[in-house]
Amino acid sequence: MVQNLEYIAAMLLYVTGLGIMLFHSNLIKKIIGMNIMETAVFLIFIAAGYVRGGQPPIALPGEPLLLPVNPLPQALILTGLVVSVSITAYALALLREIYRHFGTLDAAEIARRKGELT
Amino acid sequence: MLTVRSLLLALLLLSALAVARTRDLLSAAVIFAGYSLIMATVWQQLRAPDIALAEAAIGAGITSLLFIVTVARTGRYEK
Amino acid sequence: MDDLVLKVVARVIIPFIQVYGLYVVLHGHLSPGGGFAGGVILAGGFILYALAYGRPALDSLLPDRLAALLESGGVLWYTGLGLVGLLTGSAFLANARAGFPLGVPGRLFSGGIVFLLNLGIGLKVAATISTLFRNLQEEE
Repeated sequence: MVQNLEYIAAMLLYVTGLGIMLFHSNLIKKIIGMNIMETAVFLIFIAAGYVRGGQPPIALPGEPLLLPVNPLPQALILTGLVVSVSITAYALALLREIYRHFGTLDAAEIARRKGELT
Repeated sequence: MLTVRSLLLALLLLSALAVARTRDLLSAAVIFAGYSLIMATVWQQLRAPDIALAEAAIGAGITSLLFIVTVARTGRYEK
Repeated sequence: MDDLVLKVVARVIIPFIQVYGLYVVLHGHLSPGGGFAGGVILAGGFILYALAYGRPALDSLLPDRLAALLESGGVLWYTGLGLVGLLTGSAFLANARAGFPLGVPGRLFSGGIVFLLNLGIGLKVAATISTLFRNLQEEE
């Protein structure tokens, strides 16, 4: 229980982010929720690669690396971080276009206006 | 060590819930910046300094800035 | 936007941000960080400059054409360095086998190709993120 604190926290964070995405109709709020879900997934990966009492996996010349944590999830998550910021920027650019077109960022309102238009 | 970890994770959850509760999008973006800084500390505690640096620069800096710029161009309050 | 406090603080703090960003980019193969994190910090300095002194100041410092040049140049630089490996008869992005000097581990100029790749990525990311900010911020 105590050693799995990160897993439990990641689970709760994922559910919180999912709740923000589901229960808020504002699109910016949905993107913030998506970001929180992403960090929860990253937390699970890094916690899986953690070794108790481990060192950061960075080799310094002349100092042996006795007990490094697993560097593979860290490399994966660094890529994931880059993807997450790119997706956020892309989504925000789309939001500006949506706002220019509909004049609102409320998902329910946009759906209603689309119904009126067709 | 254990206390620091559990405290940080509790703060993380608290700020995520605060983002969920607030109706003001600007304060949601600012709370998200704080959330990213706490997350960077968690990465450091999990011995991932590479990700901690990137998260502090990206999450707290660029992503929040992009949110704030978008909120400034659209509306501040959600209905 | 004309705030004296923001302007003075920005003038003091921007050199430190830029030096730290360059440090992170240049020491990417030795310490935490690398091309992407350092490039984001560099772009943060540019964005702070734009926020404190206005868009025209940033436009004169980093014109759109220069940003576009850096963006595409970073990709070309990366691919070109990778193709050196192919031209010398080994794999794409080959390091020591393509003839890049490895140097002494722990020194700044070591690691062969990694140092050069980080430099290209750092410049590209700095240009990309500041362009992203400019495009999102601009009025309709």
